This record gives sequence, C-alpha cells and structure tokens, in this order.
Amino acid sequence: MSQRGSVLPPLVDRHILTSKTRNDVGVGAFAFLFSEIVQYSQTRVSNVSELERKLADVGFDVGVRMLELLVHREKAGKRENRILGILSFLHTNVWKNLFGKTADSLERGTSADDEYMISDHDLLVNRFISVPRDMGHLNCGAFAAGIVEGVLKSSGFPARVTAHSVTSEGLSRPKTTILIKFSPEVIERDERLGS
Amino acid sequence: MSSKAKGASPGGGDRINSELFTLTYGALVRHLLLDLESPEEVNKQLDKMGQNIGIRLVDDFLAKTNTGRCRNFREAAKTIAETGFRMFLGCSAKVTQIDDKECKMVLSENPLTDFVELPEKLQPLSYCSLLCGVIRGALEQISMKVECEISKDPLKGDERFELHMRLVEYVNEEYPFKDD
Amino acid sequence: MLLSLYIVNKSGGLIYHRDFSSLAKLDTNDTLRLGSIWHSLHAISSQLSPVPGCKGIELLQAETFDLHNFQTPTGIKFFAVAECNSQGVDRFLKRVYGLYADYVLKNPFYELDMPIRCELFDLQLTSEVTLTMNA
Repeated sequence: MSQRGSVLPPLVDRHILTSKTRNDVGVGAFAFLFSEIVQYSQTRVSNVSELERKLADVGFDVGVRMLELLVHREKAGKRENRILGILSFLHTNVWKNLFGKTADSLERGTSADDEYMISDHDLLVNRFISVPRDMGHLNCGAFAAGIVEGVLKSSGFPARVTAHSVTSEGLSRPKTTILIKFSPEVIERDERLGS
Repeated sequence: MSSKAKGASPGGGDRINSELFTLTYGALVRHLLLDLESPEEVNKQLDKMGQNIGIRLVDDFLAKTNTGRCRNFREAAKTIAETGFRMFLGCSAKVTQIDDKECKMVLSENPLTDFVELPEKLQPLSYCSLLCGVIRGALEQISMKVECEISKDPLKGDERFELHMRLVEYVNEEYPFKDD
Repeated sequence: MLLSLYIVNKSGGLIYHRDFSSLAKLDTNDTLRLGSIWHSLHAISSQLSPVPGCKGIELLQAETFDLHNFQTPTGIKFFAVAECNSQGVDRFLKRVYGLYADYVLKNPFYELDMPIRCELFDLQLTSEVTLTMNA
C-alpha cells in the first residue's frame, strides 16, 4: 500500500463501485481476452485435462476476488454457512454480477448426495467457442467451474468443480452444467447444522 | 445477455459487467508472472497477446460499427479514441495531441486497472501492455504499421493513463500482379 | 434467393464455401479456383477505375445469376451467388461478416486465414440464411 507519490488515494480507501456507477465493457472485450487465455494456456499444457485445469486455475483467482467484492458490497459482510445458502448465492448473485443474469437452474445431483449442479443454457464463456472434434470433451467452461471453486473454497465450502456439456431438449446447443462435488467435511457440517 | 442502456453503445451489442473483465485480466497477469517470473518477460507476452487480439478485434469493430475504411493515421487514431475504446472498454479516450504521424490520447478510466496497485518489486511491469499490442495488431490489419506505448501510467504514479502512438509507415496492399 | 456463399482471405485463399441449393454446384477444385481467380479479378478491377480509391467489384450480373461481393477494410471478401435481382444479399453479406467476427474470430481454436471449421458459425449461418430467404 505504498504511496510512491501517487495522486490516487491508497487502494483500500477507494470506492468500490456500486452497481449504478460500474461501467460495462463490450462482450467482445471479454471474449477476445478469454480466447487469448485459452490459446496461451494451450502452449503450456500437453493434453485436454491439463488445459481444463489451467483454465480452472485462472477462474479460481477470479472467484476468490469476486467473493470478497460481493460479500462486501451486497451482503454487508454476512457469511453463508449452509450449502443451500452458498449455492443460491452462486446461482443468483455471483452469476448475475459476472454474467448479467442468474443461472438457469440449480439442482441436486441424482447419483450422489454430495453433488449439486448449476446449469447455464448459454454460458458467456462458451458462447463463441466451437471445440474441434479432435479435442474431445474439452469444455472451456472449466474457467467458470474454477470461478465457482474459488468462491466455494473462500467461503469455507471446499469442493471439486467441473464443467460439462449436456444436450437438452428444446435447446439448439448443449447447455453447460457446472458439477459441484463437496468435500465430505462440508456435507457433515451441513447435516450437523441442519434440522 | 442484458444490455444496460447507458446511451447508445457503439456496435449496439451486448455489454457485460466490467468486473468479470477486470478480474480475468488480473488473473491472467498473475498467472503470467507465475509462469514467466520476470516482469519484462510478462510485458513482452502481454504485448504479443495483445497483438494477437488486435488482428481479430479489428474485424469485430468494423463489422459491428459499420465503419468504413480509415484513410489515414489521423482518422484511425480518432476512430480508436472516439469509438473503439467505448465499444470494447466502455470508457472514452480523449485525443490530446495529433498530427499526421503521431498522437497522444488520454483514457478517462481504464477497466483493466480497477482494483490494481503495483507492488514495489513489480515496478518494471507494464500492466496494460496488452492495450498497446491490441492497437498495433488492429492497425496492422488495415495497412498501418504503428508503434504504441504507455507514456503515462497511474499505476506508476502518474496522474492519468496516456497512450502515445506513432505511425511508422503505411504498408501498401499487395497487388497480386506487381512486376518487381 | 441465395445460392452459395464464399469467403476468401486477404491472400486469395478460399476459407469457406457453402451451397444453399443443389443448383449450380462447383466441385472442390473449382471452388478453390474461383476463390483465387475472384481475388485477382477484384484486385485488377480496382486498378481499372478511372478515379482513385475504387473499392473494386461489388456486383456482377449475368444472365442467370448475380454475384454480390463485399470486401472488408481488412481485405477479406465475402461473396454470394444469388438468383437475378435477389433482394437483401448485400445486407446478408454484412451480417455474415458479423457472424465471422463472433463465431470464427472469437474462437480460440481458429487460426487466422485458415479454412473455417467452426460448428457454431455453420449453425448461425443456417439461421441467417433462413431469415434472409424468408424476408
């Protein structure tokens, strides 16, 4: 937090912009930046899983900071301590702030009770990307999965989060489903706190 | 995707919250520092990535704003300042000095640097190098070779964010049957 | 009525081609030839102009078809073959430019100037063609 003769006030004293004064950027700005991040990441990895991991790592950073920003701005520092609470926060607040709309659905997993799914019919991150056939199941939504993982870890709900393409009736293209698998201690704690 | 009505945005297209953009850029810079370690290397990489973005971004700009061909450096610089920055970064740039070969422009805000403060040991980092690369790459696609640098940087203590562009040369279009 | 669409990069290489009807189909080699010949013809046509600053051929009319051409300031050519006196083709070409900017250029797996193989671009183009044909 050094001054170095800067005319701007120290970072911590600056206003966190409210939703009324925040600026918009063109969707192209993000899309091109993200596309470049994908291309750069490809040069540092040797297979599809590593690429998804790297994108998720970048997203993780975003998630951690987004949480701090949102908790301060929208929840006056109140902390979620229930699974449904944090998931709802993700589905509604986080999604709206990052992507301009709430997520399309929030569901409990059918195969395991430590799994939940947040789905988006038109995930911004994937909107312009056509994955070539030779890249198999690559989903650049891994970046969004990383964001979710960052938010969850920082709020005390560690989980393994991955992104998947799911074809859905009535949709012209597959939706992106973010699969969240909570660590056992999170499930235990939630059961203890619950009725 | 909702478009916030803050007056007509050039290109009329979708707008998104700048925070996703700002935080993503920050995460990129952080990861580049982890991967490459030296701030000077990161500057080069950011510039290269910017150039790669610029050569694609220019077509997006032209397609969405229905801009015709910029006939010279002056027109291009003005277009970048008046329309380009607003379309992509949601901020305006003011041209403070311009002639046929050089120009300076000042950005009122810069979404890349919201929430950012450079620590002492990273002073050599030119955080917004990407922007210079974008401008260079974009103009290269319309036959102008330019140099672009950040002449004033608030992250380094200056009052405002200023870009300095210089025309190196016009690159004539290749005529397929030139007998050289 | 649109018959076919071609996209040629700034060096004259054909990067995309699609036929919208089974009429007047060229084989692969001929489509490549058409791409590079059109590129050269377009370049020469700008030189033919009696005044400087000519942008080259925009419309070629033949007895049984029209060829509409749109060249971007970056040197990419979008051209379409359509039935004579078809309406809305120029607007269609500009829309295709927009789709190219979105679903090709923003795709990290697309390498500039190479043939376009982007599923989303194909899908969006199909919708755009349907829109144009029904207008």
